[in-house]
Amino acid sequence: MTSTYVKDARPAVDQEPAAGPANRRPRARRVKDWLTAVSFTLPALLLFGALVLAPILYALYVSLFNWGGFGSPEDYTGLDNYTRLIDDPVFLGDLWRGLLLVLFSIVVQLPFALAMAVALNQKLRGRAVYRMLFFAPYVLSEVITGVLFSMIFAPDDGLADRFLGSIGLDGLGGLWFADQDTVLPTLFLVMTWKYFGFHMMLYLAGLQNIPHELYEAARIDGASAWHRFRYITLPLLGPTVRISAFLSVIGAIQLFDLVWVISQGGPDHASETMAITLFQFGFKRYQIGYASAISIALFLISLVFALAYQRFVLRRDTEGALTNMRANR
Amino acid sequence: MPASDFSRRRFLGAASAAGLGAAALTACGGSDSGSGKDSSGRTIVEWWNIQTTEPSKTIWPERAKAFEAKNPDVRIKLVTLENDAYKSKMTALTSSGKLPDIYHTWGGGVLKQQIDAGLVEDLTGPMESMADTLVPASVKAYQFDGKTYAMPFDIGAVGFWYNKALFKKAGIGAPPTTWAEYLDAVKKLKAAGIAPIALAGKEKWPGMYYWAYLSMRIAGVDGLQKAADEKDFTGDAFVKAGERLKELVALEPFQKGFLGAAYSTPNGEAAAMGNGKAAMELMGQWAPTVQADAGKGIGKDLGFFSFPAVDGGAGALTDVFGGGGGYAVRKGAPQAAADFLKFFMTAESDRILVEKANMIPVVKDAASALTDPNLTAVSDMLAKSTGFQLYLDQAYPPAVGQEVNDSVAALIAGSKSPDQVARSVTQVFKSQ
Amino acid sequence: MTAPEAVGRRRFGKVPVYVIVWLVGIVMVTPLLYALISGFKSTDQLSSNPFGLPSPWVTSNYTDILASSSFWRMLGSSTLVAIGTTLLTVGAAALAAFSLARFAYRGRELLFTLFTVGLMFPFAVAILPLFILLRTFGLLDNPWGVILPQAAFGLPITIVILRGFFRAIPGELEEAATLDGCSPFGFFWRILLPMARPALGTVSVLAVVSSWNNFLLPLLVFTQETWWTIPVGVQQFQGQYAADIARVFAYLVLAMVPALAFYAVAERQLIGGITMGATKG
Repeated sequence: MTSTYVKDARPAVDQEPAAGPANRRPRARRVKDWLTAVSFTLPALLLFGALVLAPILYALYVSLFNWGGFGSPEDYTGLDNYTRLIDDPVFLGDLWRGLLLVLFSIVVQLPFALAMAVALNQKLRGRAVYRMLFFAPYVLSEVITGVLFSMIFAPDDGLADRFLGSIGLDGLGGLWFADQDTVLPTLFLVMTWKYFGFHMMLYLAGLQNIPHELYEAARIDGASAWHRFRYITLPLLGPTVRISAFLSVIGAIQLFDLVWVISQGGPDHASETMAITLFQFGFKRYQIGYASAISIALFLISLVFALAYQRFVLRRDTEGALTNMRANR
Repeated sequence: MPASDFSRRRFLGAASAAGLGAAALTACGGSDSGSGKDSSGRTIVEWWNIQTTEPSKTIWPERAKAFEAKNPDVRIKLVTLENDAYKSKMTALTSSGKLPDIYHTWGGGVLKQQIDAGLVEDLTGPMESMADTLVPASVKAYQFDGKTYAMPFDIGAVGFWYNKALFKKAGIGAPPTTWAEYLDAVKKLKAAGIAPIALAGKEKWPGMYYWAYLSMRIAGVDGLQKAADEKDFTGDAFVKAGERLKELVALEPFQKGFLGAAYSTPNGEAAAMGNGKAAMELMGQWAPTVQADAGKGIGKDLGFFSFPAVDGGAGALTDVFGGGGGYAVRKGAPQAAADFLKFFMTAESDRILVEKANMIPVVKDAASALTDPNLTAVSDMLAKSTGFQLYLDQAYPPAVGQEVNDSVAALIAGSKSPDQVARSVTQVFKSQ
Repeated sequence: MTAPEAVGRRRFGKVPVYVIVWLVGIVMVTPLLYALISGFKSTDQLSSNPFGLPSPWVTSNYTDILASSSFWRMLGSSTLVAIGTTLLTVGAAALAAFSLARFAYRGRELLFTLFTVGLMFPFAVAILPLFILLRTFGLLDNPWGVILPQAAFGLPITIVILRGFFRAIPGELEEAATLDGCSPFGFFWRILLPMARPALGTVSVLAVVSSWNNFLLPLLVFTQETWWTIPVGVQQFQGQYAADIARVFAYLVLAMVPALAFYAVAERQLIGGITMGATKG
């Protein structure tokens, strides 16, 4: 469904879509057609404009002030909030931790998801059950997941420590979320539990689009399983892998709920993300101007990454939504 | 796109109107959704509190019922939130300009900010008739410029709650009165294989208590006040306070996993004390109740001592750090809100709170109801106090309070030096 | 085609795969199972016997929650908010996607780009101004206060998916409909939407799931318990009954059931949705 679908759609992207007659009509008629066409987008535009765009513009405006949230912003400070941001060790730490999570994802979580996808793409007994089970955590809310695992990883009393204790490995157990050094790896375990199924599903969909004949032909040529994977599966799965990596990065940059419920970014900022820092400043310290600067930074980072990724990495695969702009200019 | 431009301008206009109009909001306060009428025409008064632990979890609704029985046209609606959740929610509500009819407050800078934004009802008038019945110290945190903005229902102080049995086991004769003795006691406990101190590192405010008390002992209450007035904490005393705390942290005195421990959860600070897993905690008057609720409680083994003095410090052993609890009323709340608070703090009602809910009496005539030895100890300490300092995270503006909490947490976790703590608190204070 | 011994080797060759998949399965299911079983214990039992089956089985944790009106109220308000969000998102997005897919006009790609930029825009970023905005319009403690922003933030992905789908429908169909006297809206309503039913199902399922799991917005908007959704309720319940771990486990399990049940029913649409969303987004 996925990549063939995209391929089918590709020609349509490059040309203006079918509405042909409109262009040949007289000007008055064309204005009317324009209005008709645009009017369909109005409900969405209103919603989006009022509740997505307006808030970001307002945040941009407020980020230029030192504002505590009372009265209207008056103490204009220009880019001070931004220069402060670049010096703020917590914010820089957020970036570093974001990078670590991204690396973890790409080095551990995605290969693992791919391995599971390849495993479940074979004829296995009970494969549907495994597939369903692996994906199930994805539909649970982050809050439920967070509460569940904060109980499981409670030092000493939680399931994890009890289990390690009972098999004589209590030395391995420990502080989990309660220690600066272990909180991120533990968080990463939970993220893998929750999200790898999602990536696995993407890969499975991609795998199903690889024609069987290729494998048959390779087998007849005597290619080993590894070679078949390396020279058929991996290249043909390329687009899917690149997209899944993209989503995983965006997810890591924007991570909030799970961390908030588990550790609120602690201990001592060791698991803090940009969204957490933003929330701390906005809703605990009333430093709305500074918090807004963080939100703008978060937005810009996501956007720049997305544009760059689409431009340089996804370019060959699909004409993604953001690149359409280029194609049609 | 004309449409989005239009909505943006409208939005910006509306938003700044909201900012300017904290006062304007109150004009239509009576018809706010928070204070409507219920289906049978009774006025609804929302009462936000943080009594999530027994016994007050049960007593609070009972008091509301008692008031409703006498005032059939009023319905008191309780909203009970856990301390930390309550604080974040209140921040959001405050910046939105919409507070609950009656809400919990600790007074200080946080309340002041709400008053300055025009969100809080002046209760001086309604409370006039009962002003003399209240213990003066209990009202102080809610008074600004001669006006009273909240009804106190609890007062208290922070000190060390300790497990006598564990102290005995470690061979500590009497509770320490100087910092040197205190560090000694910690070492002895440690040597005896006992976790000396329970601390909720995840919540940050309990850690702040140490720095605050050390600052008070070294700079004195006046020194602390002066620093706050001048917005300058870079003085020698505050760096030294950090150094003392660092000495303590270096002994690794806290329970296992304290950095991730919350206060009242089953693996938290209170439970560690209540289950006899740690020998002491620095906590306010509610500590025994929460210990028994989150853990088993240690009954007669529980004792109380004041935060030790620091040699050469300007502060006295009898200077007290802490605060109580009060209820403020939002501007424009129904009359019934103030009426309820007056009902809640009659001598008769306060006796019930003291006897059943382990509060320290704030109504003078209820004093005799206090029998619990632990609370009597706190109450005595307050009565004999030579100076008083409100919780720093409530006394100062929110941004500063949070910075104190954060920086001290970082000091305890080892990522900030005493000097850095003093400087970052000063920096945030100056930006206010 | 394949020699018998090769079949045998391949069967044998699959054993490691079975073992691995099985192990991963255990890791995945343990937390869920542990929560389920722990809910049947008392908190004392849980600390003395963390792994074994409960003895005796305590059902009161579950039955107490099921008997409490607050649990059902939360379920109701989560449902209401999810349905409202979904109708609004899919309705507005379908109209917009129709315009963006089937008309050629000046400014179209700019509009589309505008919407897709929204994909990069998490709730947290807008939460502060959003909160002030909702307050201004009196939408706090009002289900619209959650439904409207959720719908707005759900638009980008929905538009992207639907636009792709609408484009795939052959142009001849539209020309035939126009010849029959169908207005553009008539074509949209009578022909396009019925044809797009599978895609609509997919995006609806996505909207339901993201609304169901949303935490930050309802947490801030709903101050009163009346409207609390399940994630808000879970967090609150944990705060309030923290000491009673077994009960919190029971609560978690019951809070998971609707999402898992929905997943079981709508698995195809959901998975179709995420793969489509990913490749088209």
